[in-house]
Amino acid sequence: MQLDRVSVAFGAAVALREACLQIEPGTRLGIVGESGCGKSMLGLCLMGMIPDAGKVSGSIRLNGKELAGAPEHVWRRHRARDVAMIFQEPMAALNPLKRIGDTVMEPLEVHEGLSRSAARARALALFDEVGIPDPDSRLRQYPHEISGGQRQRVLIALALACNPSLLVADEPTTALDANVALRIIDLLVRLSETRNMALVFISHDLAAVARATQQIAVMYGGDIVERGPTAQVLGAPRHPYTIGLLGARPGLDNRGRGPDGRRKRLVTIPGTVPPLFELPAGCRFSGRCTREIASCALQRPQPLALGAGQVAACHLLGQAHAGAGAS
Amino acid sequence: MARLVVRWPARLPVNLMIGALLVALVVGVAALSLIWTPHDHAAMTIRNRFQPADGVYWLGTDQLGRDIVSQLMVAARNSMTVALVAVLIGGSIGVALGLLASALGGWVEDLIMRVADIGFAFPALLFAIMLSAVFGPSLTIAVAAIAFINIPVFARVARASANQVWTRDFVAAARAAGHGRFAISRDHILPNIAAPVIVQGTIEFAVAILAEAALSYLGLGAQPPSPSWGRMLSEAQTLMFMAPHLAIYPGLCIVIAVLGFSLLGDGLRDITDPRLKRRRA
Amino acid sequence: MTAPLLELHGVSRRYRMPREALLRPPAVLTAVNNVSLTLAPGQTLGIVGESGSGKSTLARLVMAFERPDEGTVLFEGTDLNGLSAGALRMARRRFQMVFQDPYGSLDPRRRVGWSIAEPLRATGATDSPARVKQVLDQVGLRAADAEKYPHEFSGGQRQRIAIARAVVTRPALLVADEAVSALDVSVQAQILNLLMDLQEEMGLAMVFISHDLAVVACICDRMLVMKHGDCIEAGETSRLIASPRHEYTRSLLVASGL
Repeated sequence: MQLDRVSVAFGAAVALREACLQIEPGTRLGIVGESGCGKSMLGLCLMGMIPDAGKVSGSIRLNGKELAGAPEHVWRRHRARDVAMIFQEPMAALNPLKRIGDTVMEPLEVHEGLSRSAARARALALFDEVGIPDPDSRLRQYPHEISGGQRQRVLIALALACNPSLLVADEPTTALDANVALRIIDLLVRLSETRNMALVFISHDLAAVARATQQIAVMYGGDIVERGPTAQVLGAPRHPYTIGLLGARPGLDNRGRGPDGRRKRLVTIPGTVPPLFELPAGCRFSGRCTREIASCALQRPQPLALGAGQVAACHLLGQAHAGAGAS
Repeated sequence: MARLVVRWPARLPVNLMIGALLVALVVGVAALSLIWTPHDHAAMTIRNRFQPADGVYWLGTDQLGRDIVSQLMVAARNSMTVALVAVLIGGSIGVALGLLASALGGWVEDLIMRVADIGFAFPALLFAIMLSAVFGPSLTIAVAAIAFINIPVFARVARASANQVWTRDFVAAARAAGHGRFAISRDHILPNIAAPVIVQGTIEFAVAILAEAALSYLGLGAQPPSPSWGRMLSEAQTLMFMAPHLAIYPGLCIVIAVLGFSLLGDGLRDITDPRLKRRRA
Repeated sequence: MTAPLLELHGVSRRYRMPREALLRPPAVLTAVNNVSLTLAPGQTLGIVGESGSGKSTLARLVMAFERPDEGTVLFEGTDLNGLSAGALRMARRRFQMVFQDPYGSLDPRRRVGWSIAEPLRATGATDSPARVKQVLDQVGLRAADAEKYPHEFSGGQRQRIAIARAVVTRPALLVADEAVSALDVSVQAQILNLLMDLQEEMGLAMVFISHDLAVVACICDRMLVMKHGDCIEAGETSRLIASPRHEYTRSLLVASGL
């Protein structure tokens, strides 16, 4: 799947600005950012599920086929078969009045044309694959009778039912307890590897994304501000926002007390994320950035390749780069 | 101090606008009757009975030669007054009981709500007839009866909404601040249940107008010479074939008033109830 | 060692579940089971656990919103549940709470200044406008913000308002129940720093409850790990992180990325 300069606007509010991404088969891409950064909108773009009020521009290609602006019935052919999605709240995504078995078997019977017994066999195999113990009795249960982690596994099984080549997971672990979340992440990684299925893992949780993915895109205010190999970006972040985000995360080095006996403070990013329609025109991060220069608020920084696959959009990096080139 | 935070949708619902228009019409006419009517509503001129509509008597006169427009206008004022007083009294007592039930919980809540259930099951007209039989028919009795039947309605709405508000964190914060149940009910619960109570009040206003008309029709409401839509209807009934307009005009007034307040209530609910709020882009 | 500010001795809290069958006795859920802890003035105690571990019930017990079925809650040496309703309300000025949801913990129909001054009014204190201004400044907001309504603020600012309200009576103890969990990482760091600042300025003791071990570890001297209502491990934060004794603590450490 390939996204080239994809923008989504709701009136004057730009939810996504010229996003470029490339997802190779079988790879795992993480999208991180705070609330309102456009990461969910990006996920919906991949599914062709932008709300009607949103205006989409740019190019969305799936296996070389242009899908931007394609009508609903075209997208529907690709959903579930080529791209599937799982959501944050597994309870909300399951019909509470339907047995889990019926929920999982229905699409198999409808889309794949399987007989009831064949659909049942497939459902059992899928449950086995996503690590649901005792799948036979699970099929007869209702969603409220199983735990949150098990519900998320059911949804993953449901998403896998038509063998998609890309799975979009929007905050799949946010509603779960830490231990359960960890196991779900490991499951997604394993499925991606065994099925050669691409995974887009959307989350605000840096630790979860670090564990789940090989590539990462950091978003702020509708822009992808930095992307590259996960270890590279998280290990040596270049964009001021990524640096701030990593510093703000409580970890080992900012814990405990300093030499003066006072507790160590966390690195913070001043201010709060502005509403979409009040974002600065240039770099979205200007106004909160501590290293701001004059051109930041006015001019949009272009993505700059920094080597080793790392790309960041920041005027400071551009200057440093130009300076190094001149000397 | 407390402010009613209602986010007005970009487009107001149609039922709200029509309702508001009709209510404004009825209330405006009722208010106008305080200072001006085309004729004295009670002046009888037998010579001019059953006059057709013309430039002097806009809608004609009745069997006693009284001007119909003037009567309808004063009747509107009477109807509004009865409904307003009855809903205010019934609403205040009902909301107070609902808040009390919600604040105290346990057996007090059960007791209040079961009594309210019984009140709900009691037919309003029957109750009014019973009161009239004991105290004699009068407007006060009609008001009391209508107020009484409103109590359980408001108690239910208030308690249901209040119970939701009690689970909110800001109520826990007020408890942490050191406030007792009654202070919290006054400072936090009441302002936050205002919207559903006002919606209910508007709808109950329509019900009260209808109830007042029914009681007057039975001769248990406003007493002559004070005009009332309900009594105008009952008086016109015997003359139905001779002068149908005598029945049509008060009937139309009742329809307009009841419809207006019902639509207004529905519209208000549409814009204040978050569950019904449609997504706006 | 100074006298403890807060002591819990063998506190348990059980809830009766709705009856499932007519003749069987209703099931009983033990939300908190025989938990004891002490907290010295100015210290921070972290309570970590997953959902359903009883940590929020523990907060409600400390705040005397609920009575324990067994055990005692002593605050500054007095048994809170032995106080009369009026005396307990007055005592509340010494211990306050910050909630998880910054959208739900402020009355949407009241001005911010009104909400912040509420604990002052409730406990019969005076001089509120000046004091409100002072705490607003302390939490990094402007005095003019007192005139605004909660919906005019972002989540992080609302949590600052909630903290201002909690410290307006100059309490000795602050109970923070998932106070930063609903916030974005960058805002979360601001609020955590604010809590540390306030703690140093005011000598505030804190019970800091969170499901996120990394957050608890960065702000707490000691911590207590809960699971299914039981306290399964307690001790110095550094010791717990360096050498967890319980398998469950270890799994939480792995999950938090520490």
